[in-house]
This record gives sequence, structure tokens and C-alpha cells, in this order.
Amino acid sequence: MMRGLWTRETVAALLLAAYLPLAAFWLWMGGVAALGQLGLVALVIGIWHLVFMLLRAQPPSLAALVTALAIAMLAPENLGVFRLSLGVSFGVVMGELVFGGWGRNVVNPATVALAFLGFGFPTFDWPGFDAPVAWAALPAAGIGVALGVLPAALVAGAVGVGALGVAAGLLSDPVLFAAGIVLVLLVADPVASAATTVGRWINGALYGCLVILFATYWTGAAPVQVAVSAALLASLAAPLLDEAALALWIARRRRRHGRT
Amino acid sequence: MAQPPNLWNTLTDPLIRQNPVTLQILGLCSALAVTTGLATALTMSISLTVVLTLAAGVISLIRRHIPDTIRLILQIVIVASLVIVIDQVLQAYFSEISKALSVYVGLITTNCLVLGRTEAYARHHTPLPAMVDAFGNGLGYSLVLMIVGGLRELFGKGELFGFQVLPLVDQGGWFTPLSLMLLAPSAFFLLGLLVWAVRAVLPEQAEAREHTPPLSTEPAE
Repeated sequence: MMRGLWTRETVAALLLAAYLPLAAFWLWMGGVAALGQLGLVALVIGIWHLVFMLLRAQPPSLAALVTALAIAMLAPENLGVFRLSLGVSFGVVMGELVFGGWGRNVVNPATVALAFLGFGFPTFDWPGFDAPVAWAALPAAGIGVALGVLPAALVAGAVGVGALGVAAGLLSDPVLFAAGIVLVLLVADPVASAATTVGRWINGALYGCLVILFATYWTGAAPVQVAVSAALLASLAAPLLDEAALALWIARRRRRHGRT
Repeated sequence: MAQPPNLWNTLTDPLIRQNPVTLQILGLCSALAVTTGLATALTMSISLTVVLTLAAGVISLIRRHIPDTIRLILQIVIVASLVIVIDQVLQAYFSEISKALSVYVGLITTNCLVLGRTEAYARHHTPLPAMVDAFGNGLGYSLVLMIVGGLRELFGKGELFGFQVLPLVDQGGWFTPLSLMLLAPSAFFLLGLLVWAVRAVLPEQAEAREHTPPLSTEPAE
């Protein structure tokens, strides 16, 4: 074989395939307005990818569409073209492109853009999700995990903590729906999440715990805002969790074998 | 010393080429905290420039009498005395702004920028070049503070020095204030973008790479 099959673009394409059910249901429920929002976000991201390709020779990536879908679905409503473009530009440039493009970013660009929009324009309402769209997150997660592009341990960790939260009566339906969609779209992103299995379990569990914490004690926060904030903190903690997992592994090897 | 340093260069170097904030990344704490508006940024800039210049002069005057072992204590005592004077003056004549600046004027004492210039330059030079260098560094710091403070006030409130520049939506205009600009993270972003811009223009300021990427990721055919 001249090149491996698993290039960055393969992962991006499979990720996109995994998100198709979610995107289809969301577009069906949202109609033309949703399509227009998706188109606008994709256009802005595309322009930035083009700029960075021309100026810094960074190849554009299909992952732009994944980012566009996440931002279009979760962004606050009725922002207007200018504010939405500003937030998207900030997220994509500062969250992804300055680090060298998709695959080298520290946090998911969509998370950065959404946090920017949420904290920058607090007067706009966050979207709510109907049950069909939220249920579509299940096949999306299933396809992603089956194809190996979404980390199974992370999803399992988050779902486990989420199940405990539901059993304890801490999570209401809207929060659960938003948290599920954000888990699939933002937290389980293969680049910005933890890369070791132990790290992934903890990363998912941390996301679940943060959602429960925010949902319980953050008064006046919309469900999507809760989930996006938890996603931002969880993905910022991911490198630390990886580092801890590696240090543990090395310490265990050293104890058992006297070397690494 | 072969040649006394050129005073004009000593003064202008720290403005951009050797800027204490964007190149040496010193004095960030105050630069992030006080830049929500131009008025506080300007007050802070003036206070720091005055303290820095006077401290450099004093330390340079007694530089041959400072024992090496206690030089830091001595420098901090001198800087702290000057800071207290400035703080009292601000409280007496500009109590509004002094309240807005809260502890940050007092914290000039521990500002790395002040200690860095007195330690690195004033201890080894005669008073005039020492004070010119300190003044230049103060101006460089002020320049960054004014840029960041101006941008934050303009986009966060639509004002400059408290005067409405961009008409707000609530008052029938078109500008929606970007409230993120008034929070601390935006100062980080703006400062980062500023450093990026400066280094794009002056590539010699960019740091060496920490890692060398592999030569080629393509396997041989």
C-alpha cells in the first residue's frame, strides 16, 4: 500500500457519516432556517480554511463541515449574520487554525466558538431540542463508536455518570437531551478529547459530573449553555488526564519491571 | 564599556522592538486586569512609568553601594516607597480611578517589569541612561495598555475615555456591546493577537521551535 487508508480526511469523512442521522433529524425539524444557518456557518469556516491554505499552506479539511454542523446546531438563536460570523471566525481561527489545522488543535473549535458566543452575547437565547433530534444522537454515537472515530470509553464514561444522575433525579429531560447532543458533537471529538483509554473514561465521567454540577447549582443557565460549558472544561482537562494516565502507566511499569 | 549607549535608541527600542509586554511577556497581571477602560489603563500606565523611571534613577545613583546579597530587598524597598507615594497621590486627587484600579497600583511593587529593568539595566548604568531606559520601557508598557484598553472599551461599551463613540442599540444606534470584551479572557485574546501581529511583522521576535517536525510523513514508495 502506498499510503495508509486512515488519513486525517478518512477520519473526518467517517465522523461526518456518523453525524448524518443527527444532522438529518435536526434539518427536518428546523427546516429552511436551520439549513440557512448551517450554510452560513459552513461558508464562514470555508473562507477561513481557504485563507489559511493560501497564507500558511495548511490543507483544508472535511472536518470544517463537522464544526459547522456543531456550531449551527448549538449556537444561540437569532444572533444575526454579523455576530454569528464573528463568533465562528474566532472559534475556528483561535481554536483550530492557528494551531496548524484540524488534528493539532487543543480544544474543539466549535466549543470555542459556542463559548465565545454564549459569554459574549448573553442576552440571546440558547436553542432547545425536541425529543426526536436528541434521540438521533444515539445512532450517531453508535455509528461513530462502531467505526472507531468516536472514543468508546469516553462515551461510556459520560453515559455511566449520566445514568447515575438520572437515577438520582438530578437531570431533567431538557438538560439530558442537550448534554447528549453536546456529548456526541463536541466532547467525543477524537482530536480534542483524551487519547489514552483511562484518560477517556475519566474525561467522559468528568463531563458527566460537570453537567450534573452545573445543572444543579448554576441557576438561570440554559441546558445547552450548561452542556457547552461542561464540554469546554472537560476538553481543557483532557491533556492533563492523558498526562496522569501516562505517568501512572510508567510508574506501574517501573515497579513491575524496573524500567519503562 | 567601549561606547556609551545611544540615548535615542535606549528610549525607542522598548517601544516595539524590545517591548516589555509583547516580547519579554512581563507585567501581564496588571496589563490584563486594568485594561477594561482607557481611563484606568492610562492612569496605570502613568503610575508605572513614573515609578519605574524614579526607581531606576535612585537605584542607579546608589548602584556602587548596593551589596549584591541584599540587592533585591533594597530594590523592592525603593520601588515600594515610590508606589506608596503614587498610590497616596491617586487616592488624594483621583479617588474614583484609584478605586477602579483597586490593588493594582499597590501591585506595581511586585511587577516583574519594574524589578526586571532595575535589576538588569539600572544596576549597571549611570543615572541618565538608566532613567531613559526605564522611561522607554514605561512607554512601551503604556503603548500596549492603551491599545488593549482602547479596543476593550470600544468594543465592550462603545466608548472611548467614557465618551460614547459607537451608538448603542438601546439608545437607537446600531452597535451591540460585546460584553465578553469586559471580561478578563478577552485581554488574553487581544494580547495574544497583538503578539502574533507584532511577530508577523518582526519575525526575528518569534521564539525557536520547541520540537522539530519529522522531515517527511510520506512513507517511501
